[in-house]
Amino acid sequence: MAAFWKKVVRNRALLLLVLPGTAWFLIFAYLPMFGAVLAFKDFRISPDGFFASVLNSDWVGFKNFEYLFRTSDAYVITRNTILYNVAMIILGLISAVGFAVLLSELLNKRMAKVYQTGMFLPHFLSWVIISYFAFTFLSPDKGVLNQLAAYFGTDSVSWYSEPKYWPFIILFVGIWKGIGYNSVIYLAAITGIDKSYYEAATIDGARKWQQIRYITLPLLRPLMIILTILAIGGIFRSDFGLFYQLPKDSGALYPVTNVIDTFVYRGLMNMGDIGMSTAAGLYQSLVGLILILTANYIVRRIDRDQAIF
Amino acid sequence: MAKRKTFPMLLSLLMLMSLLAACGNGGNKTAEPAKEAAAVQSDGTVDAAKLDPVTLKLYLIGPTPTDLPKVQDEMNKYLKEKLNTTLDISMIDWGDYTQRMQVITSSGENYDIAFTSAWAFDYLPNAAKGAFLPLNDLLGTYGKGITETIDPRFLEGSRVNGVNYAVPNQKELASQAVWRFNKKYVDKYKLDIDSVMTLESLEPLLKTIKENEPADITPLAVPKSFKPPLPFDFLIGDEIPIGMYLDTQDHKYVNALETPEFKQALDTMRKYYQAGYVREDIATLEGIDNMKTGKWLVDKEITQPYADLGWSRSAGYDIVSRPMQKPVIATGSAAGSMMAISSYSKNPERSMMFLNLLNTDPYLRNLIQYGIEDVHYKKLEGNYIEDLPAMQENYAMPGFALGNLFLTYLHEGDPEDKWAQFEEFNKSAVVAPTFGFNFDTAPVKTEVASVTNVAKEFIPVLFTGSVDPNEYLPKAQQKFKEAGIDRVIEEAQKQYDAWAAEQGK
Repeated sequence: MAAFWKKVVRNRALLLLVLPGTAWFLIFAYLPMFGAVLAFKDFRISPDGFFASVLNSDWVGFKNFEYLFRTSDAYVITRNTILYNVAMIILGLISAVGFAVLLSELLNKRMAKVYQTGMFLPHFLSWVIISYFAFTFLSPDKGVLNQLAAYFGTDSVSWYSEPKYWPFIILFVGIWKGIGYNSVIYLAAITGIDKSYYEAATIDGARKWQQIRYITLPLLRPLMIILTILAIGGIFRSDFGLFYQLPKDSGALYPVTNVIDTFVYRGLMNMGDIGMSTAAGLYQSLVGLILILTANYIVRRIDRDQAIF
Repeated sequence: MAKRKTFPMLLSLLMLMSLLAACGNGGNKTAEPAKEAAAVQSDGTVDAAKLDPVTLKLYLIGPTPTDLPKVQDEMNKYLKEKLNTTLDISMIDWGDYTQRMQVITSSGENYDIAFTSAWAFDYLPNAAKGAFLPLNDLLGTYGKGITETIDPRFLEGSRVNGVNYAVPNQKELASQAVWRFNKKYVDKYKLDIDSVMTLESLEPLLKTIKENEPADITPLAVPKSFKPPLPFDFLIGDEIPIGMYLDTQDHKYVNALETPEFKQALDTMRKYYQAGYVREDIATLEGIDNMKTGKWLVDKEITQPYADLGWSRSAGYDIVSRPMQKPVIATGSAAGSMMAISSYSKNPERSMMFLNLLNTDPYLRNLIQYGIEDVHYKKLEGNYIEDLPAMQENYAMPGFALGNLFLTYLHEGDPEDKWAQFEEFNKSAVVAPTFGFNFDTAPVKTEVASVTNVAKEFIPVLFTGSVDPNEYLPKAQQKFKEAGIDRVIEEAQKQYDAWAAEQGK
């Protein structure tokens, strides 16, 4: 015990630094974990307060999970969630790294800042606003695309009831919104790369492309791997606004826009059933955990040093 | 070593939190029920001198008006004298109300009274979850004024297994859907609106407008949520196609998708969509601004006596309406606007006394809705008032959600017999076969969640005519079956039969 306190005193400055983060995690991430128990209960309110309500509710086993799996939608929403996320992770990685490299190579630093800010801006817009941007293009009667179609004499498209276009629209808009934010992370890493590597490469006669290929990308690899593993953990969650607001909740598009989050929202919004919503959240988290561990395991098999744990 | 330490630490943290929560609850003073009962005099009025001072926490729906604290002070002055009670009113905006109240309830905050209804902070599921206090005994002891004043059918319709969990706000009880017409075009083309009732009978009128007016005039101006008139009493809202015929003989719930009326309505809407009588983007149209633009011929609305006057006044041009169906009283109509007492309330007796006063005392009732005399409104002759600018700017309250509407003042232009007409309207209505039956979804909640999802996918696109019913209706039927609609119908029938047997029907 004495040794423990000695350690604490010795590291007090570092411990103090870590304290706010720890407190945040305990209160907002670890403490609510006990709530996961609600997934197996039929939540009823008891007049003695929240904890009494939790304790007094009846156990119902896996009944709260049933609605997630009982219809053929279970396949559709799982497929959509996973495929969109996989595509988003791959395309997002390529585009973010690509743009970060491009921005870092710009000679005019002032213009680089302008482009960077411009790309960052969509990140701050809410999905509701973006859905109206999209609507100005896609509206069946007054939309830009259909006006153009009329001008060139081609048939107009009823965008909000044609599922076949939406996988592309969703991926495009999703990446457009995230690219600024993600490329900034890589840009920061590139800025941190020691300039002497490039100087040495230039002296050896390496061209730009060779510098990128043999210096920038290998040095970005650890960051790419960490961010990808973390993104894989979120593969069972999706950006709710992207899949709900952007298609304007159009029923005809559900086969290609329904994901686990929107499915749960639509089914439970009016019922307000805490047990069933918790069950959905727990299911997503559990699969996320399994996926993270698997991804990490694979990375570790390939390159031990790059794995997170 | 480290592992073993984590768990006790978390546990103690948890206990600390619950301790804090318990301390938080201790703030509100509790009055003893025996003392409360003794204060009620034989004529039903309350002797405030015998009561301990109490503060009631209220949650109401709507945006918070700037002058709420001012009016609240005025109400507290009056209530102090009448019930030795003060109020602490919080208002939550329309869109946030359901969600915020869900969180407030689940977290165990001990508020006293909250607005509830069939459409915001839903009455039935929350009553089933135990969020509201059963009121039968309280109504008997402290709420005599309520039971005497309001139409008994309000209380009957909001009973769940014989228990009242909320006090309905007396207003129009029956609901009647109407076609509203923009009078400008009716006059211009001398359209015959008196023979209009069904969806099909609109066709010649829509056609006239489409052929003679420019393209930006929408003949049938309805949004995504539009439902044509159907002869059903729906079980769980009009999105989910389970209902009983209003003129049913056998009292059976049916799958509305399989009825000829449903198919006919869908075919007609498809025809209208293809003919361009509705907006092309109707499938994604959450709301429609036809009232503001004036570029429309007909839309759908729920009416009440003298509604045409109000609509014309707010639109700034003339609007006339014709009924789509007879006024109907269904279970949901009684639950349009209610006040519930929380099961966490420490002062349920006093809450009921307050609700009783709100529903019987014209001074208090008008104070909460219209604010302070000569500040927010000017009293005219009789029961009439005139709004002062301060009301529009700083004290706009949703009148229908604040207790007995029939006690409120009238505005200039309102007919003198307005509230009498409301009562007449309520009396003239057809009572639905399921009136008073409240479906408990708990045994089939898995199926209801699945069916709700399917309904969201198919019902709006079908009812707006945006897809071909010949292709999509069979698809929808199959998917509803898969989701368990038959199981829900079966359960509803079982509960209904048990309820009907109890009622002696």
